[in-house]
Amino acid sequence: MIEFSGDFESEHPPDELWNYFTDPEILAQCAPGCDHIEQESESEMSATVAVGVGSVKPTFDVDMVVVEADRPHKLVMNAGGDASRNSFETVAEMTLEEREDGGTHVDWHAEAAVSGLIASLGQRALGSVADRLVNNFFQDLEDLADEGVPAESKISEKPEATATLDE
Amino acid sequence: MKPAAFEYHRPSSVGEATDLLADLGHDAELLAGNQSLGIIMANRLATPDHLVDLGQVEELSGIAVREDEVEVGAMTTHRDLEFADDLREAIEMIPESAEQIAGPSVRNRGTVGGSVAEADPAGNYPTAFVALDADLHLTSADDERTIPARDFFVAYMFTDLGPEELVTGVTVDREPFPAERTGMAFEELKRGAQTFPTVSAAAALRVDDPERDDPTIEEARVALANVADVPLHVPGAEDALEDDTLDAGIDAAAEAAIEAADPSPEMHADEEWKVELAGEYTRRSLRTAHERATR
Repeated sequence: MIEFSGDFESEHPPDELWNYFTDPEILAQCAPGCDHIEQESESEMSATVAVGVGSVKPTFDVDMVVVEADRPHKLVMNAGGDASRNSFETVAEMTLEEREDGGTHVDWHAEAAVSGLIASLGQRALGSVADRLVNNFFQDLEDLADEGVPAESKISEKPEATATLDE
Repeated sequence: MKPAAFEYHRPSSVGEATDLLADLGHDAELLAGNQSLGIIMANRLATPDHLVDLGQVEELSGIAVREDEVEVGAMTTHRDLEFADDLREAIEMIPESAEQIAGPSVRNRGTVGGSVAEADPAGNYPTAFVALDADLHLTSADDERTIPARDFFVAYMFTDLGPEELVTGVTVDREPFPAERTGMAFEELKRGAQTFPTVSAAAALRVDDPERDDPTIEEARVALANVADVPLHVPGAEDALEDDTLDAGIDAAAEAAIEAADPSPEMHADEEWKVELAGEYTRRSLRTAHERATR
């Protein structure tokens, strides 16, 4: 089990950011190594994502389920990815808190079970890169919000789904 | 094992190479001197669909020592740097970090650009370039940019280089390092010639009067390899040394290195020992650099 966490400061209010975090097209533009995201249902998405460390860059087929969407406070997602000789499962949680100046403080936390070749890289290498990728994601999303690119909330939580990590 | 199937491309110019990258993006991997990638591919850790071999791009090799700066092309080999006497006179740290890389066969083939783009935090050039505050030059099909080495290395084997970009070369400003009163050193600890070092330290010192035994240090540069997830610049050590003699600042500089070090343990070297080595190799590289500044 590997844990990642961090935070991000946005100049935009939570309610505005929420549209960006729940618009698959926006997510596809911001997610690192992501070519496209397909929305499968109101709360399910699938994507192809190439991420890795150095030249070890497996391409994952990723399925995501939104298990909690409490607009505009908290978003919890279950995701699993498969690539040749690599796989991962993760529960990722994000909370948005409105700051006094109208901006947003974002806290994120993820727990992942990683198996295959990338697991051998260890927590230090993966954590170092994951922090960077997540920060890039938030920054790209912030840039889109700054530019005023329109975003539409299209994702809602799946009824009766719970966040679990199958080992 | 043998690598998974891939398509091989051999451009003969930077333009051809960047056009290929623009088409292929993150499905392609650049091949420089092939001293790391081939092994990773043979183990099938890396399975790129396309390989873009820069071996025929002659414009990327070469060393230019100018009045105000030195420039090294990305495909220049460790061996060429090791034996570049004019470069050694200008910026001694570069040949000294080149000559300590692995063994002769690796140095014959391995390149400065390959090492920089691979961005192993244990690598020699990343640390040397961070210490020297070098500029890296990147190019893509529709853009060129220059980025300080100190901003290029962002995480473990992770850089600011985009999937459509390649590193064309590196320049080091000579202004802070007048040869007659500057000393540089690159000191590494390793358990065997062919291995990556456990810890290395890069140091440069410019003194006010090289004729004196205990001159005042005008400018200090310190960076460490393999004690963090990136080549580690240690400004605290530099501040401790500047505007006084070496003896006055060396303890505080070593302490700053120990403070900054955040290594991951390896099978042969635990965290505690690597932190201690960060201090010790900071001392050693500073002493050597000081001797050379006052010789």
